[in-house]
Amino acid sequence: MLVPYLLLGAALFSLGLIGFVTRRNLIIIFLCTEMMFQGIIVNLVALGRYPLDGRPTFDGQVFALFLIGVAAAEAAVALALVVLLYRHRGTLDANAWTALKDE
Amino acid sequence: MPSALILLLVLGAVGLVLAMPGGRTDRGRLGLVALAAAGGVLVFTAVNLAAGERGLTLFIVCALVALFAAVRVITHRKPVYSALYFVLLVAAVAGLLIGMQAEFLAAALVIVYAGAILVTYVFVIMLAQQARPTLCDLKAREPFWGCLSGFALLTVLAGQFFLGTAAPLPAASPAEAAGTVEAVGTPLLTQYVVGLQLAGLLLLAAMVGAIAIARRRVTVEEELELEGEA
Amino acid sequence: MPLAETSILSPTVYATLPFWPLLGAVLVGLLVVARQKPERAHLPVVLGALISAALGVTLFFDLNRAHPSPTHGALETPLPLGEGLGDANTPLPSREGLGEGRNLQPLPNLPLEGGGVGTGHGEPTGHAGHAPGFTHTIYNWISFGDRSSLQRNQWIAVNFYFDGLTGVMLLYVTLVSLVIIIYSIGYMRDHHGHPERGYERFFACMGLFVFSMISLVMAGNFVLLYLGWELVGLCSYLLIGFYYQRPSAAAAAKKAFIVNRIGDFGFALGIFSLYWFLKDRVAAGENPLDYATVFKYIAAGAMTQGQLTLVSLLLLCGAVGKSAQFPLYVWLPDAMEGPTPVSALIHAATMVTAGIYMVARCTPIFGASPLALDVIVTIGVIGALLTATMAMAQYDMKRILAYSTISQLAFMFVALGCRAPDSGVFHVFTHAWFKALLFLGAGSVMHAMGGVIDVRQFSGLRHILPQTYKVMLIGCLALAGFPLLAGFWSKDEIVHAAFARHPVVGVLMLLTALLTAYYTFRMFFLCFHGKPRLPAEAGDHPHESPPVMTGPLWILAIGAVLTGYLGVTWHPGAASFLGVLAPHGFFHHYLHNSSIGTPPPLGEAPWLMYLSAAIALAGIGLAWLRYGTAPTDEPDRKLLGGLWNLWNAKYYVDEIYDRAFVRPLRGLGRLLWGTDNHGVDGLIWCVTAVPRGMALALHFVQRGALQAYALGMVLGLVVLLLLWGLA
Repeated sequence: MLVPYLLLGAALFSLGLIGFVTRRNLIIIFLCTEMMFQGIIVNLVALGRYPLDGRPTFDGQVFALFLIGVAAAEAAVALALVVLLYRHRGTLDANAWTALKDE
Repeated sequence: MPSALILLLVLGAVGLVLAMPGGRTDRGRLGLVALAAAGGVLVFTAVNLAAGERGLTLFIVCALVALFAAVRVITHRKPVYSALYFVLLVAAVAGLLIGMQAEFLAAALVIVYAGAILVTYVFVIMLAQQARPTLCDLKAREPFWGCLSGFALLTVLAGQFFLGTAAPLPAASPAEAAGTVEAVGTPLLTQYVVGLQLAGLLLLAAMVGAIAIARRRVTVEEELELEGEA
Repeated sequence: MPLAETSILSPTVYATLPFWPLLGAVLVGLLVVARQKPERAHLPVVLGALISAALGVTLFFDLNRAHPSPTHGALETPLPLGEGLGDANTPLPSREGLGEGRNLQPLPNLPLEGGGVGTGHGEPTGHAGHAPGFTHTIYNWISFGDRSSLQRNQWIAVNFYFDGLTGVMLLYVTLVSLVIIIYSIGYMRDHHGHPERGYERFFACMGLFVFSMISLVMAGNFVLLYLGWELVGLCSYLLIGFYYQRPSAAAAAKKAFIVNRIGDFGFALGIFSLYWFLKDRVAAGENPLDYATVFKYIAAGAMTQGQLTLVSLLLLCGAVGKSAQFPLYVWLPDAMEGPTPVSALIHAATMVTAGIYMVARCTPIFGASPLALDVIVTIGVIGALLTATMAMAQYDMKRILAYSTISQLAFMFVALGCRAPDSGVFHVFTHAWFKALLFLGAGSVMHAMGGVIDVRQFSGLRHILPQTYKVMLIGCLALAGFPLLAGFWSKDEIVHAAFARHPVVGVLMLLTALLTAYYTFRMFFLCFHGKPRLPAEAGDHPHESPPVMTGPLWILAIGAVLTGYLGVTWHPGAASFLGVLAPHGFFHHYLHNSSIGTPPPLGEAPWLMYLSAAIALAGIGLAWLRYGTAPTDEPDRKLLGGLWNLWNAKYYVDEIYDRAFVRPLRGLGRLLWGTDNHGVDGLIWCVTAVPRGMALALHFVQRGALQAYALGMVLGLVVLLLLWGLA
């Protein structure tokens, strides 16, 4: 039962990645990173539940719990940044923020 | 690698490219049809892979819902709908976690993600709401290359399971191990207590940082004016 | 040999002599830093120069008492001057140095073709092997020499050399500089008495200039001499370019500096070769570039004839540059761009006399090389005639005086080349007084005329500037060689020595003297005689300069009259001038206590003195006939036509130099610059093209779009995983 979970986690991660690369709305971009977290959580828990040595542990779940905490922190800071950026330019388009490239 | 999986990946990739915002609506429909076909292939594959395993039905349902929600999150033209589909995704993932006896984590996920984080997202989306859908929502950025690389990654990852030299997968599922609060909380508060403290610190720092970043700079005159109004 | 026990001040006190003007200059700088008003900025420098002058005068008398020699007190017992040709061989009074059994190298017979007038005897100059000065070392500066060889314990020391030549040089350098600095107090102000812009800078530079010249004169070794030499060059640059806002002044300053560099290059090479030739001969503990050491070993025959000639010619390069001699004289006329007191200082007291001083100081070296002496005479004769004729056809008062300076310096060169360095130094001494007087007088005219110095613009100034008129008359008479004034005595001696060398040289010198008298008074008459005529710049009421300017003028005028008598002796007899005065007086005997030594005495030829007096008078008379009424139509031009125009254009020497040296060099510079700019830089460009091309090929990747980077990351991850999977 491990492989379907891992495949699903990989699929969620990849979809989040696709969204991160293709969507232009800053909020959606961050939402996609959260989606990648979901895929990882599924993976972590699946690996804890169906370990290769046959002895399940809860480390995966603990790790997933930490991940949720980090995701919350990231969401707070990222959304604050988004608000700040939106206040500056009046748009959420990621293409509006390319000032670090070499002209 | 089973040919079904290859079919699944190709269908999914084509469907997603078509479904991405920026194309014509009929193309989007076509994409959704392709994606639905991919879902069918997925069910078929999963049944083949884990026939007779417990909780297979739950897995298939939740997986389908999760993938559908994920696709909608990245293809929907309205940010609010994306966020709402993300709630659906979280719910589906919670269902998957329950299937793996991680009940506490499932509850936490729903509470923290769907309850706290997503509310914040929706709040910010509303804050930055524009009158009409803007160009950045209507037009995806290089959907073909994005989908290609994403599915290439997925293909490579999936290939690892079937062609790779990784250790042999467990033949059968081990005994039950319920992820109760006690089961998860004990290692959290003993083995990982330092990490827990650090996570708390991180959250505090993030909170302070968020306030510092998003705070609007108010001049003394504006403040006096506000006081006068009050 | 220390100073006499009865000396007034100790050598340590005299060693401070150069530093007082420097201290003054530094104090001026501090005053500027302290934001003091510039009105009194001259005070520190004047005080410093005053102390130096007082010390210089004291030292002059001390050095006279320091070396009681058989020739001392010559005023009472004049050197026996030969009564004719045969008596020229009268042996010189024996000197201490000769009796010490030194290994004296008899000098090769002197090529004195002009034996008809001169002494003609081949007696080695008495100074050889005997340097009567003493060296006062302040501290050892640069140590060198390696332990394995003879050259150990050798130093370049900071030391001062005191002998008769030092005393004479210091006497006029300090006194004339002091007078010029005092004069500048008045000159560097406008008619309301407000200081000019840069007043403090001017005095600081003047102080530095005087310091440089004094240290040059007092230096006890060639390295220190070179140091003073370069400092003088630097100060001349600073002061000629004083009005640096004016492009011509900046260009003149650069020209002076660069032309001097050419000469100084040779000078440095001369010092190097001197060291190279002597380093293996010098014993431990002796400093190989000290005058005393060098002269001792040269007298002992440490260098071959060829080496001596090489060193002499190289040192001569420096003298030619610094003393503005042909062919490196071109900077001096342009140096008129500086304020007039600077011109006076350069022309009279400092800078240009340095070359003469150096050659005189190195008499033991130059005297041993007949070829070098011939070159010196040739340079002198060419320079004297060339610049005298140029001066004939100029209008700028200061420029005429500048050419006359070069011409007079050429006289001194002739004297040096004719084995009469004492006569040369005597002329330096007298010339300093009257040339300073003439320049400061011209400055006074310029001051009254509102900066105009072109003699065509004004005339008949004798009523407007009565005092200036009188002192200028004295100065012009002295320069023209009018009998009984300073210039007459010294110039006559040089003519005398020139005749002793060769009659042709003597005749050319007399011709130059005639031209000198003529052009000097042409300038004088054009300026002060004729109808009163004023330029517009002079304003409504041009007036005589203030006492702070006329006072120094009168002091210099007294010097221009009287200094000549230091060099003559009361010698009643038919052979003396006017029956009572004969050349070679106290001054010469004083000088013989120096590295110059005692040159062979000049033959007696009183008719020459009468002749040169007559020539001076003839020149003045001719000038009076042609320019006495200050005509505006330039009679000489009508008379001489093309020749006059050639003189007016200065023989196109500047243009020839421009074509022959400046432009080719500039072309070479441009070529090298082009090579560097295109060739070398091009190579570097080629090398840098590689990374630049790579950047060009990849820069589109960096578009600032965050998601493009993420895409790249994903692709990289895929490739990595693929590689792992395949491995």
